[in-house]
Amino acid sequence: MGGSLVGNRKMFWRILRRMLLANRGRVLVILLALAAGAAITAAMLNLQIDAKRRLTAEFSVLGPNILIVPAQTDSDATSRATLDERILDEVPPTSPDGWTPVNALGYLYLLADASGPTSRTYQPVVIAGVRSSLADKRVAAMRHNRRPVDGHSCIVGGKVAAQMHLQVGDQLSLHGVAGEQPCRVIFLRNMGDAGDAQISPELEVAQRLAGLPGRISLIELTARGTSEQVNDYLEALRKRVPNAGVHGVYQFSEAQGKIYSKISGLLTATVVLVLVLTALCVMAAMTNVAMERRNDVGLMKAIGGATRRVVRLFLTEAALLGLVGGLIGAASGILLSMELGKAVFGVAARPRLIVYPISVGLTILVAIASSFPLRRLASVRPAAVFRGEA
Amino acid sequence: MFLRLVADSFTRRPRRKLLTGAALALGMAVATAALSVSLDVGDRLAREFRSLGANLVVTPAADSLPLEIGGVDYRPANSGAYLAVADLPKIKSIYWHNNIIGFAPLLEARAMALPFALENGKLRQTANWIEDVPLIGTWADHGVPLPDGREFRTGIAKTNPWWRIDGQWFSDDARECVVGTAFAQKNKVKIGDEISFAVGDVTKIPSPFKVMGILSSGGPEDNSVLVALSQAQLLTGRPGQYRKLYVSALTKPEDSFAKRDPKTMNADEFERWSCSPYVSSIAYSIAQALPGTDVRVIRRVAEGEGNILTHVRTLLWLVTFAALLAAALAVGASSAASVMERRSEIALMKAIGAGRGSVGFLLAAEQLLLALVGGGIGYALGIILARMVGERIFGAAPEPSLLVFVIILGLAAGVTMLGSAIPLRRAAHFQPAPILRGE
Repeated sequence: MGGSLVGNRKMFWRILRRMLLANRGRVLVILLALAAGAAITAAMLNLQIDAKRRLTAEFSVLGPNILIVPAQTDSDATSRATLDERILDEVPPTSPDGWTPVNALGYLYLLADASGPTSRTYQPVVIAGVRSSLADKRVAAMRHNRRPVDGHSCIVGGKVAAQMHLQVGDQLSLHGVAGEQPCRVIFLRNMGDAGDAQISPELEVAQRLAGLPGRISLIELTARGTSEQVNDYLEALRKRVPNAGVHGVYQFSEAQGKIYSKISGLLTATVVLVLVLTALCVMAAMTNVAMERRNDVGLMKAIGGATRRVVRLFLTEAALLGLVGGLIGAASGILLSMELGKAVFGVAARPRLIVYPISVGLTILVAIASSFPLRRLASVRPAAVFRGEA
Repeated sequence: MFLRLVADSFTRRPRRKLLTGAALALGMAVATAALSVSLDVGDRLAREFRSLGANLVVTPAADSLPLEIGGVDYRPANSGAYLAVADLPKIKSIYWHNNIIGFAPLLEARAMALPFALENGKLRQTANWIEDVPLIGTWADHGVPLPDGREFRTGIAKTNPWWRIDGQWFSDDARECVVGTAFAQKNKVKIGDEISFAVGDVTKIPSPFKVMGILSSGGPEDNSVLVALSQAQLLTGRPGQYRKLYVSALTKPEDSFAKRDPKTMNADEFERWSCSPYVSSIAYSIAQALPGTDVRVIRRVAEGEGNILTHVRTLLWLVTFAALLAAALAVGASSAASVMERRSEIALMKAIGAGRGSVGFLLAAEQLLLALVGGGIGYALGIILARMVGERIFGAAPEPSLLVFVIILGLAAGVTMLGSAIPLRRAAHFQPAPILRGE
């Protein structure tokens, strides 16, 4: 009995090998269909996961999403209270998304008088001294984050420039309550916000003008991540800087939560549709092949093959093909999605390893499900097949 | 004879035709849904992005430099220029008036406040005058009469939709106010209390404003008090005037053409530029409609929106393209299968003298009929599917469009023909005899 079982198993694999090798053209067509399906599945899944991550990065362009301000006190007017500059360096350096650096900007605001190169009259203006917690050149070079490059340069808002007839390269003189500082205009800023009516030198310059060394008015943080991640980060930050008020900027956090959920819902819906179609496509291709197998089944049954074993043979074949097609297809799909990510977001999508086993698993499932028309073969009468009756 | 053959092929073996048709309809349904959603999504998302609030800010061109720190303007009380509220309806008369979904004028002042707490139904003065309170006069929900006689309801809730209010907004002309959450906390003010405001010198205590709500904005407004624009005008002695206007407009993401200076364009280019709802061209036409103003694009909002919209749209088109491709492959494969199955029939027709042309023509007609029926059913199913997706995600279904219908039918016909053409050509090379023998 044991011997015949081993013999059966050997025979099973031998038939399987023959089935796969005998008609290489047909096997190739099935493999191609399965691999293409796996590639689309893997590419779409990877792109979807990556798009969600990229979108949180896109939202950070909108501006800072967390503010640290002096704590509310009952005594003084909040606008005049200041923070210790060292808080700027206590901000956790990594964003809640786990890999991008947090861009923290410390500002000191004060009123000062500025005079340009041509006029000797003084224009009262808001000075916003700024320092970033990052020394990163990449961040400093970003368009929305133009910073003074050294202690002698400053960014000038477009409204200030229009009022004082300033151009890039002009030399300015700033007069604060505690002294006078020169600065050279290196950039005219036109962002449509309060910064357009300010002059922005380095933080130290503003501190010298105001006579407030080591003090800042507020900190703006740009921390990337989903709404939930940012909320957790806020909680952690509150514990870390207990003597200051920490709160989220609702304008961006609310909009981000809303828009993000729409976009990811949309992506999920379309990706699911594409996956269903891909499965359908592979099934159609596989069904064809199954129908062509009538003769084989008829022959097997005629020489005594039990229906159950014949079906098992075909299912094993399908699973094997699914495995091979899936392994090849999913790998090329992930590569494809990296290129597509580059086309859409300008940055190659990061491959997600979880996508690989999922795509391969789905492909095997689809391959097996596609062999379902084989169930009809169970009712095939060998004699009818041999007579050529359909 | 030809029609009879076609009709017979459908009626004699309905099950097989049904299977092919079903695959076709399903594929085309998914393609329709993906296409309708993608076509519709740009507008819907642009609307969603308005939850970011205003993307344009209008100030007087002749204004002195604002000296604003933490929401308080430190300019002397009478300096600077103002704009007339009476001109505001003109905004809704520009070419892109339908894209303007909201605007709110602001008049800010530094005021003094004297709170009265409500205790057991009686008002009691709780503190002395509070200095340097930023007072903002604006519209909460105001009806602007339009030139065509209708009314446009707008206000700060449209331009700053992220503002959360506990309680309710003030009415348009009543002596009511809304206080920022930080101000309320610091001065222990609650809903139902009353506050007197004064700008400049105080000779007698003015009649107080009732606190209707507490505002949390996450910005400097948390330290301020908001009243109706008309009340702020009375307090500051600036009847009919405002100083800052926020405008929220639906825009098209800017490309490199949009970023050019309109002064350097020739007539044709200028025409094209001003006929696209770019944020810069809307800013331009607002500046034309309201002379003496400086209209600025709030770049962070406009550019952030533009970037995300462009990327999401590209991504969706990519996915839609994948859906169309997958649908085409599925339909092509099943129609190829249906032709392949009929090899012996083809052979028989050839054996009794049919030429290659007439066999091909017959099969093509059958497939085309199937494609049109299947495509039509698929389109109907797809519209329902798109409706479900649209309603779930945006709360509004995409409009069925004729364009999608034409594309889907064309795609169905094209793909079916292409799918059947390959096995048909192969069949043409077969000798009838071996096929009929079953070899």
